[in-house]
Amino acid sequence: MKNLAPSLAWAYALILYGFIFLPVIMLVLFSFQGTMFPVPPFNGPSLRWYETVLADSRLTSALVNSLVLAVATSLFAVFLGFLAAYGLARYRLPGSNFLRGLITAPLMVSYLIIGMGLNIMFNGMGVPKSLAAAGIGHVVINLPLCFAIIYSQMGEHQVNIERAARDLGAKDWQVLTHITAPMLWPALFAGFFLSMTFSWDEFVISFLLTRFDTTLPVEIWSLLRSGLSPKTNAIGSIVFGVSIVMVLVLELVVLRRRRI
Amino acid sequence: MKGGQRTGDLHSALRPWYFAGPATLWTVAFFVLPLAAMAVVSLWTLEGQSTDFSLANYRQFFANPSYYRAMINSLEVTAIVTVVSVLLAYPLAWILAEGVPERWQRLALILAILPFWTSYVVRSYSWLLVLSERGVVNNVLVASGLLNAPVQLANTRFATILGFVHFFVMLLTLTIYASLKQLPRTYRRAAADLGASGLQTFRHIILPLTMPGIMVGAFLTFVLAIGDYVTPQILGGNNELLMPQLIMLQIGRRGDFPLAAALSLILMLVVTVAYLAAARWLKLERA
Amino acid sequence: MKFQRSAAGRLFGTLLAGMAAAFLSAGADAQELNALVWCDHSDPEVLKPFEEANGVKVNVKEFEGTGAGLAIVEQSQPGDWDVMVIDSIDVRRGVEKGLFEPLPEDQLPLADIFPDVMMDQHGKVDGKRYGVTEKFGYNTIGFNKEKVDPADMQSLAALADPKYKSRIAIYDYYLPVIGMAALAAGKKTSELTEDDLPAIRDVLLKWKANSKLVGEVTASQTALATGEVDILVGGGEWVTAGLAKENPALDFSIPKEGGILWSQSLAMFAASKNKGLALKFIQYILSPEGQARLATSSCYWGMPASQKAALTDQERKTLRFDEQKEFLARAQPYPAPDADLDKKMQDVWTEMLQAQ
Repeated sequence: MKNLAPSLAWAYALILYGFIFLPVIMLVLFSFQGTMFPVPPFNGPSLRWYETVLADSRLTSALVNSLVLAVATSLFAVFLGFLAAYGLARYRLPGSNFLRGLITAPLMVSYLIIGMGLNIMFNGMGVPKSLAAAGIGHVVINLPLCFAIIYSQMGEHQVNIERAARDLGAKDWQVLTHITAPMLWPALFAGFFLSMTFSWDEFVISFLLTRFDTTLPVEIWSLLRSGLSPKTNAIGSIVFGVSIVMVLVLELVVLRRRRI
Repeated sequence: MKGGQRTGDLHSALRPWYFAGPATLWTVAFFVLPLAAMAVVSLWTLEGQSTDFSLANYRQFFANPSYYRAMINSLEVTAIVTVVSVLLAYPLAWILAEGVPERWQRLALILAILPFWTSYVVRSYSWLLVLSERGVVNNVLVASGLLNAPVQLANTRFATILGFVHFFVMLLTLTIYASLKQLPRTYRRAAADLGASGLQTFRHIILPLTMPGIMVGAFLTFVLAIGDYVTPQILGGNNELLMPQLIMLQIGRRGDFPLAAALSLILMLVVTVAYLAAARWLKLERA
Repeated sequence: MKFQRSAAGRLFGTLLAGMAAAFLSAGADAQELNALVWCDHSDPEVLKPFEEANGVKVNVKEFEGTGAGLAIVEQSQPGDWDVMVIDSIDVRRGVEKGLFEPLPEDQLPLADIFPDVMMDQHGKVDGKRYGVTEKFGYNTIGFNKEKVDPADMQSLAALADPKYKSRIAIYDYYLPVIGMAALAAGKKTSELTEDDLPAIRDVLLKWKANSKLVGEVTASQTALATGEVDILVGGGEWVTAGLAKENPALDFSIPKEGGILWSQSLAMFAASKNKGLALKFIQYILSPEGQARLATSSCYWGMPASQKAALTDQERKTLRFDEQKEFLARAQPYPAPDADLDKKMQDVWTEMLQAQ
């Protein structure tokens, strides 16, 4: 019985990992499909769909837009979240609990509703749809996350170091950038990384708030309206490949930091 | 001297606001105000372009079966997704936290997250094709003799649930894993010392202590799933409508923002109720 | 150890700068035309000759139904859009909202257009022409002639036949499919009133019970092409023609009860800031080359409005160019409900979607 348990466990894990990877494997496989439809039988391999994707300027500019938006909004969300976490952790404000609740409230609201609210408000104010408008929405969904992560890492042990720095004559902003931020590096990074993940693949808010310059998920959605083809498999595989490379790079960078 | 001190007092009284202010302002301007705008718009009506306040949109939701049916569908689907995902994720999280050697754990986690770095929309279409009659799953089932003919898997509620579970198993595995890792090893050792079997330790120590982690993950699953448009739209085949689809239908087909706003607020209300229930449960647990 | 000086900090910095440069430069372009269109106008093959000939860029935003298109216009600022592709019967709605600009008839090749699709009763308001038909086709029955008996497809009654249970997909656009249901119930689409809705509802529910899915353009095309379903209600040459090369078994029929004629027109926005360019675009689309490219656009094919469209013989055959006169005689236009009836129709549609 005891010997069975590990094999059962491994079998279970393998089945679940298989389940998790199944659509992606099919995705990548049929991106090399030779004929029009990404369904069996597999006629290939062929690179024609990758060529089509790279030649499609709307897709490639959407890819760049997504990356820029993800990085910009994540940085901004981390920045706002860090400042707010610092303020609420180090100082006693009236209504601290309320403020904390307010800043984390968007976590509870569906992206669809956040997007719709902004759509309605911008409409009423005459603010045109754009990538920036979608960016605002992305910061709204990522700020609570960054705040919550960083706030949870704020502790008493850091206060003493900060006080020491202040005693030595450091100004507030210097304490923040030279002491607090580096100490909180893992939390800042986690917040940034998670925000990037959510923003990069976010569909509904971008769909509702952009016009022509749009993000990759929205562009793919439009692409799919025009007909299912292995072209979407190709772009999905490219995105997948880019992510793997990015994770590898991050791992190396983080690993190298650890060794120092 | 006195004046300087007063300014100094003001400055130090304002200082925390320099930090907390920006985030608060942002949240109020781009989260609270839009919600308020939506509440106002939900009281308008599209026909006659009326901006007189009326509860017509809300009444329509409760009166029209096709409409409130969408909410019922959403609750059913989300409940099933949450329960199934938790049941599948816990063992996997356990295996990752306990069975896998420490130095490979991070890699195992990254491997689990990696597939979700493909585009969400593309991944959903990929599931549609995998589940279609000419897709991999049916091919395998027929070839292995388990089925005589392909069965309809795609464009059903089953497909929607599968698509959701696919994502949330990963999410819950992560949250439960984090929760398990936080458990001090000493608790388990203590329980073993006192003569508890593995199963008893699990039931009385580990499970209750990881419950908050499970609840947070389950709540997150509930919120994300009930508000999701892409998965049911792509995988469900419009064989039934869930709330997000009903809402988008109003925007897409007729530009009926008042009705869409009303439906969105109703959805938000349901989620808030769920939140309060979960929060209450957590408080009770702590007490 | 300061974040700024770390390797990660440097990496992020260069990445940011590079992307910001790419991002900012993407917007700086020559003159642009903003078009609100159905997906067949997004095909680069359709837009490229115009863009190259005039040294401009055409920005397209797609929508799937006049209601959605008008909703987008309402959420935009005046001057945001230059041209719109709109269902011919809805041109009047745009005119009533004060959106469209009269078109100069002498500068358009109107004589080349099939007389039956000129649609003057829709395109002209108060003697001024606001919309000109550019493409048309049918919402009827698309099917796989190797899997289904073509003889059955000559009547709409086959759609409720248990023989075809779960072999059917319904195109997710309420107007033409409700029109088809009206035909099945023996009514004329141009005379529909609220009293006709119960009969229409019954037909729709029967069809829904017999079908496997309700899908928009992509989902229905894919379902038919991959064999997920064998019949598409609301399908027509717009589904089958483009896929004919890959799957020559796909065909369409206009049953004895009739088919629904869809026709799309081009209109120019009164608030447009590029009226000259907009007119040139409309002229290009109506030219023989433009018509041929539009007719065979990748999203969906359709009959060109102009008889002079520069189609190849094979393309003409696929589109059944020569049978058009006969088809047009048996086709009825989209229902054109007022706002109240439209809402009720949408409610019937929602009810159909929720039904099992």
